[in-house]
Amino acid sequence: MKLFGKMLISVLVVFLLGGCWDRKELSEIKLVSGMAIDKGDDGKYEVTVEALNAAELNSRTSGGNAPSLVETIEGETLSEVSHQFSQYYAQYLVFSHMKLLVIGEDVAKSGMIDFIDYLERNRELRDDFKILIAKDSKASDVLKVTNLYRKSSSLKLSTQLENMFQDWGGDPDMRINDFINDVTLEGKEAVLNAVVVEGDKKVGATVENMNNVTPEAIVLVDSLGFFNKKKLAGFLPLDDTRVYLWITDKFKNTTLTVQCGEDEYSAVRIIHSTTDVQTKMDGVRPEFNINVKAEGYIEGTQCYKSLDKIETFKKYEDLVSKSAADKIQKTVAKMQNEYGLDIFGFGEIMRRQHNNQFSKIKEDWNSYFAEAKVNVNFDFILRRTGIRSDSFLDEVEK
Amino acid sequence: MNKFLKKLMNINSKKQIPSNSTPSKAQEIEMKNISFETIKDEIKKIFGHTADLKADDILVGKSEAIIFYLDTVINTDFLKDMLGQTLESPVEQDIRITSVDELQAFGKKAFGVSGYKLIHTLSEMTETILEGRIAVIIKGVPAALTISFINSEGRTVSEPTTQTVVRGPKDAFVEDISTNINLIRKRIKNHNLQFEKFKVGNETRTSVYIGSVKGIVNEKILEEVRKRIKDINISAIFESANIEELIQDKSATVFPLALNTERPDSVSSALLDGKIAIITDGTPFILLVPAVLTDFFISSEDNYQNYFMSSFIRMIRYLSFMIGLLMPSAYVGVLTFHPELLPTTLLLSVIAQREGVPFPAVIEVFIMEITFEILREAGVRMPRAVGQTVSIVGALVIGQAAAEAGIISNIMVIIVAITAIANFVFPNYSFANASRLIRFVLIIVASILGLYGVLLVLIFMVAHLSSLRSVGVPYLAPVAPFIVEDQKDIFIRTPIWFQNKRPAYLSPTTLDKQKPQGSPSPPKQSKGGSGD
Repeated sequence: MKLFGKMLISVLVVFLLGGCWDRKELSEIKLVSGMAIDKGDDGKYEVTVEALNAAELNSRTSGGNAPSLVETIEGETLSEVSHQFSQYYAQYLVFSHMKLLVIGEDVAKSGMIDFIDYLERNRELRDDFKILIAKDSKASDVLKVTNLYRKSSSLKLSTQLENMFQDWGGDPDMRINDFINDVTLEGKEAVLNAVVVEGDKKVGATVENMNNVTPEAIVLVDSLGFFNKKKLAGFLPLDDTRVYLWITDKFKNTTLTVQCGEDEYSAVRIIHSTTDVQTKMDGVRPEFNINVKAEGYIEGTQCYKSLDKIETFKKYEDLVSKSAADKIQKTVAKMQNEYGLDIFGFGEIMRRQHNNQFSKIKEDWNSYFAEAKVNVNFDFILRRTGIRSDSFLDEVEK
Repeated sequence: MNKFLKKLMNINSKKQIPSNSTPSKAQEIEMKNISFETIKDEIKKIFGHTADLKADDILVGKSEAIIFYLDTVINTDFLKDMLGQTLESPVEQDIRITSVDELQAFGKKAFGVSGYKLIHTLSEMTETILEGRIAVIIKGVPAALTISFINSEGRTVSEPTTQTVVRGPKDAFVEDISTNINLIRKRIKNHNLQFEKFKVGNETRTSVYIGSVKGIVNEKILEEVRKRIKDINISAIFESANIEELIQDKSATVFPLALNTERPDSVSSALLDGKIAIITDGTPFILLVPAVLTDFFISSEDNYQNYFMSSFIRMIRYLSFMIGLLMPSAYVGVLTFHPELLPTTLLLSVIAQREGVPFPAVIEVFIMEITFEILREAGVRMPRAVGQTVSIVGALVIGQAAAEAGIISNIMVIIVAITAIANFVFPNYSFANASRLIRFVLIIVASILGLYGVLLVLIFMVAHLSSLRSVGVPYLAPVAPFIVEDQKDIFIRTPIWFQNKRPAYLSPTTLDKQKPQGSPSPPKQSKGGSGD
């Protein structure tokens, strides 16, 4: 009986004191799918959130209203602002399903990334949202473009970027932890994908934008923004994003076009690739050996002869290897000569491989990087030729 | 609270009646102390004013005699034939019986060695009359001859109603105990199969048999069961559930500590595993002890199906136990405390569905679960004729109307439906009931503490389960304590030629079931053959 009493008391203590503190009914919450940070006029930051209108995203309950509500508040800290949103929204905002963080170009350029601390520290936020830079526009504009796929801008972008990353290699796949890592590493500079809003932003923010086959406004993946420590230093074209993935060994799939004759081109689909970077100190000059092993198949060709011969395979392998090695060389050379910023993390690799030598030069690593010698050894293996061997064009010529 | 309970207990103990004061028990008076003339009065005194007690004067040969019987219990047609052929016109018309020895000789001659029984006391006589025998008392003989005329009319053996199978024997136990034992004997033709008889219930004097196979069953466990049955001191037994309640190790539990079955094949295979069957007169449900948790997930059909299929089905049963137990509470917990656990798209669709639902998730779950329980109870109790009405109204009210009216969300209907269906998967009804109760506890706790609370209750549940014993055998055996050898027929069913040992957790007298052997292989080709 005594035991029963004790158990009753302990159960009541748990229930009455500990229960219900974070209880929120579903009808009282609103999911935040994206957040945008711009420079504020009055406050330090201008924070914009996209809160989803769940009923509108479900085809059964949809009534043709706006899929999400985008509102902006200015303030000094992200944390306070995020709790201030009841100014606009009836429901409690839940940030745990956030898919996207958009940083305005001006914020990134001035290196005001202090707000990231809140995002990392907060227990409610996940660490798997993608981070983007809004090029040539305010970050909040990116969240305000409606589209047909899932209607909300951030839901669309998160899927879009993932596909871009998987299918062609146009997104560096930066999550918050990757970004924090890269910013803090001594031998690496951070990169972020940059998007632009194309078209009429006013129309983009209306439901009507979804009525056009080619929308008035659309958000597209534009380029790769890179940092110098905390500050955004410039943009590289999308082609270089793929090379970035290649060197950092985050590569998934891509299709590479090579010239195989006079005004004749072939495209190979590269499906497997591993990269191994070896560094060494050649006196005062660092040397990087980038060894890439890749496999793929022919996806389409305009040089259609003798695709069933081993020599042709060899020829293609050489062509692709040379062309890919060239691309890698060029991108690295561009970073060396024009910007002198090591976004590929060669310094980090050297820190791991030759810690002693690296620690001597780590203060001034980027200038050493600019002087470094880069060798690319690209080894491509052609596995198949699609589901045809010789092309029909061969028959036509006969 | 404590005081109140104590008071309650005190009242109970004061009210206890000494068990031997029950009126049905006749005094131990020997027959020789009563004269032939007064015996009628003596018997009538014992039975009182019951209308079905008959006492007829007859002649056995040349001797005067009285027969006593209950005409509602015996088969009166048989009795008439018997009176005409044997008793009143014995083979030798002028026979005269004057002593016990002569009575015995007569009985042997007329009814065969086992057809009659001689009794010497009044109490014995009362009991035999109640069992459906007639008692013949001959003037001057200090003993009574009793002959069985029991009217064994009852339900014939038919298909099981609670434990049906697709493939397997389709007979089930009935209310008559000798038919039931016959069904088991037919399956195990072995002299080691033994049935011990007990009389339980001070008023009902119900026959209870303990069945076991000598040489397999653990004698210690058998002795324990015997002792517990003997120790039962209760006025009435009507169903094996009464026995189950009286012999189980711990009374404060929702889990069944004895397996009940109405399938003779289940009982037979359990007996050969070393379990003990408790057969109660008047019910088709036979108890099997010791019962462990995993027994309730095993259907006898598992052994009649392909073993890959059986193993898969068994996994499904465990899964549906978890679904039936956790689905509603997980719904409440996740939706009110951990929306971040759901994929965004799913959460959005749930939010959209729940928009406009007037109740919090927990109230919604409660409304639906209670409604379902009401419907279910109605479905069991209602007269067969109105069955269809109830199920149609129930399905319409719960399924469609409530969701369409916006009182509950569609997803809630899905949750309740899947929980209900999952609960019907169990081969054993009593275990499904246990999870029904715990489900409600889980819902309440989930609404206050979220999934943390659900886990807390589950931890308590496992702790409780591991504290349970069925006739001394741990309830979670052979999982905790873990016995490797017994895993062959727990979560998966291995081929029967691979299960060469009996369950070790029952500590049977002989562990080996059969000699180890493999599955049959195709005959070997002669040398120089083409192979395959």
